[in-house]
Amino acid sequence: MAFAPLDPLLHNQLRLAIASLLVGVESADFNFLLEKTGATRGNLSVQITKLKEAGYITVKKTFKDNYPNTRCALSAKGLKAFERYVQALKEYLGPDGG
Amino acid sequence: MERELTPSESLKLIETMIGQAKQSFQRNSFYFMLWGVLLIAAMAVNYLMAANGDPRGSYAWGVVGIIGGIASVVHGAREGKKQLVSSFMDRVMLWLWMGFVATLLISLFGGATAGHGVPVGSIIVLTGLPTFVTGQLLRFRPLIFGGILFWVLGAVAFFVDVQATALLYIIAMVFGYLVPGYLLKRQEDGLRTA
Repeated sequence: MAFAPLDPLLHNQLRLAIASLLVGVESADFNFLLEKTGATRGNLSVQITKLKEAGYITVKKTFKDNYPNTRCALSAKGLKAFERYVQALKEYLGPDGG
Repeated sequence: MERELTPSESLKLIETMIGQAKQSFQRNSFYFMLWGVLLIAAMAVNYLMAANGDPRGSYAWGVVGIIGGIASVVHGAREGKKQLVSSFMDRVMLWLWMGFVATLLISLFGGATAGHGVPVGSIIVLTGLPTFVTGQLLRFRPLIFGGILFWVLGAVAFFVDVQATALLYIIAMVFGYLVPGYLLKRQEDGLRTA
């Protein structure tokens, strides 16, 4: 039986961590993602840009108390992709698919 | 963080991250303590003035409504600025309480305008709903018990006189709002008390 391929955009530790964090919230600050993923600023920035370019997340840049502030949220397309990714994972790990 | 993930590692990572983001990030204790104090004060003023034959005591509700409303909005705006994340649970709670306030105001103004007043028992029972649900959402027992207490005392209030109703209202506010609010604050401050 052929498995659905895992979305390469989400099948990456940091990008998957970002998407998973955003699934549970409405929106999150860059610093929240930084703290929870334990990634470096540079790497997090790069992966956020990749997810944004794919249309998986929306990024709003504003100023908060005179400091630049980046706020990320999962888009509808991102949520769909995430659900598909989880479904594909289940197929890999399922009782018949192991 | 760049190596290839196995499917089970992926699932584990998803679970961990969703778990991290699932909690409420807002501090809610302020509102319970603020409104607890204000509403107890309003009921006490109302009761004492009515006991002395002065009907103006009912203005106390309007005064605390305005003070509490302004304090809540200012506090909420300040906290909102500090918040790094906005969760669905916070949104559910915001709209639960906004819906409660709308229901309360419509009942109060409707009852007052129509001239038959509002049974305090109904107000106490109504207050039980958002308190109980908030307690369940936060998994915070003192608020769950507080919500149940509002229901029980509200039900009792239908069968007693005005003086006893005022007393029931104050008891409900102390143990439904004030005490759980204080315990919640301690928990939010990092002290385990509940």
